[in-house]
Parts: sequence; structure tokens; C-alpha cells
Amino acid sequence: MRDLSLHILDLIENSVRAGASTVFVAIDESPAEGTLKVTIEDNGPGLSVTPEQAADPFYTTKPGKKTGLGLGFFRASVEAAGGAFMLRRSRLGGLAVEGVMQIGHVDRIPLGDLALTISSVVCTNPKLDLRCRISANGKEHNIAVSEVAEEFPAPERDGLAVARCVSQRIKAGLADLSVSE
Amino acid sequence: MMDNKIKSLKDLEALKRKARGEVNLRSDEEGKKVTVHLGTCGIAAGARDVLACLMDELTKTPQTKVVLRQTGCAGLCDQEPMLTYCDESGKQFVYGKLDKNKVKRIIQEHVLGGKPAAEYLVTT
Repeated sequence: MRDLSLHILDLIENSVRAGASTVFVAIDESPAEGTLKVTIEDNGPGLSVTPEQAADPFYTTKPGKKTGLGLGFFRASVEAAGGAFMLRRSRLGGLAVEGVMQIGHVDRIPLGDLALTISSVVCTNPKLDLRCRISANGKEHNIAVSEVAEEFPAPERDGLAVARCVSQRIKAGLADLSVSE
Repeated sequence: MMDNKIKSLKDLEALKRKARGEVNLRSDEEGKKVTVHLGTCGIAAGARDVLACLMDELTKTPQTKVVLRQTGCAGLCDQEPMLTYCDESGKQFVYGKLDKNKVKRIIQEHVLGGKPAAEYLVTT
């Protein structure tokens, strides 16, 4: 994956496929500690195996496949940036995938187009309760798709206009907090 | 949430048509459905850009009812990025090795025109 936003799209797809109805994505930058943390949590069934096994590229729950590369790729990107990768139980009841990277590490891949990733998920999963948090320097922006949809008249709530609005708010949040590329 | 002011009935009708088109992209109505394969292999190969192109192209044709959905890896990773188009009769067509130009042609010729873009179909 060439950037973190593609990893995030992949991990959200994992959550959706696992049957999650709520997904939470957080981008937390801490300039003081020099870290960028990416978290994806869901209310799906969680792990049925150990975290080590889940992140093994040659382990998958999909029938007919021999590899499950998504978590392994994300772990590789995190660790290449001098970071720590963790799988834990989410407060939402499912799985939480977390990667903490060194912002200035020469091998840290860029954040990429987070707004496009999120709007892609919104557009193709109208029933998914998707929430995002962007935080940096002690400030944060919270964007919940269901709340954005409420701002639209009922016939438009499942519309692409919601995805577009969410995209704009994420861009505005990233710009306001000057989150690193 | 409107960028432009409504100054006439024509403007209102145009807004209505646009909004209806946008609704159709995400609604569960039966009919034409485009599913983008967003497995790890698809994403790494450029599926998100394919989806972005689909959103742009389908927004331009609000009169056409099309549902956009995502799915995972179909086991044909070398053909990614891929999409599956399901027409109104329920027949499925799998397109592979996509880029923006191919997506535009598939929308114009198949989704809108009803004629499959045969050279981009995945054959197994």
C-alpha cells in the first residue's frame, strides 16, 4: 500500500466483511511525542484466534484462500516507521487495530487521501455507522456519518451528497489541525 | 446544503434531478448495481480510484438508477482492479484490469448504453 489511507480502507473492508455495523476510525497526531496513531475499531465478532495468528499473512478466515495480507501489510508499514502494531478488544465490542508510528521516520508512508477513503466507504455502505476522529495538538474533530446525514432532508440521507459532505469535513479537519501528510 | 441559489423552477427541477441521482447511488433499490472489489489486492491495484471515478461518472447521469456497493477479493487478484456490473435482469458482468478511461467506457457503453464493453470483461 502506498499510503495509510489505503490501509485504512482495507481494514474498514475487513470490519464490514466481518459483519460490523459500527466502525470508528481515529487519526491522532502527537507532535510532542513525535507520533502518529491510526486506529480502526468495530463492533464485529472480534478475533477468534491469537493476535499473532491474525496478523500472519498466511492465515485467513476466508474459505478457498491461503493468504490474508491486509493486517500483515499494515503491521509491516507501521513497524517500518519505527512503530508499534497492536490488536486488542475494542470498546465497541469487536476488534481494534492500532498502529503508532514515528511521524518523522524516513520510512513512514504518508497519510494519503483520507477523505476519499472515508467517502468511498460512506458511498458503498449506506447502513454503516461510521465515525471518525482527527486529533492533533490537543484539539480534535469528530465526524459521524449518521449526524452528517441528519443535516439533510430525509430523501437525501442515503445520497452521495452525504459522502461528499463527510469528505469535505474530513479535509477541513485535517487542514484545521495541520495534521502531517 | 446547496452551493447555488435557486432562482427559478428550472433550477429547482435540476436540483431535484441531481438529488435523486445521488440518492440512487447509495439506496437499496433493485436495478442496476455496480460492485467494486475492495479486497487488499484490489485496493493495492487502484480500486479506490476506480470507485472515485464511478462516483463522478454516475453523478453526471442522475436520471439513471445505479446502486454502488463494495465487496472483497474474488480470487482473481491478477485481474484487479475489478468491478462487477449487475444489469436490470440480474445478469452479472465482471470487468478487470480497470483504469479511469475503461470505467468511463463501461459506464457509457454498458451501464447507460446496454452493450457490454467486451474487451474489458474478465474471461476465465
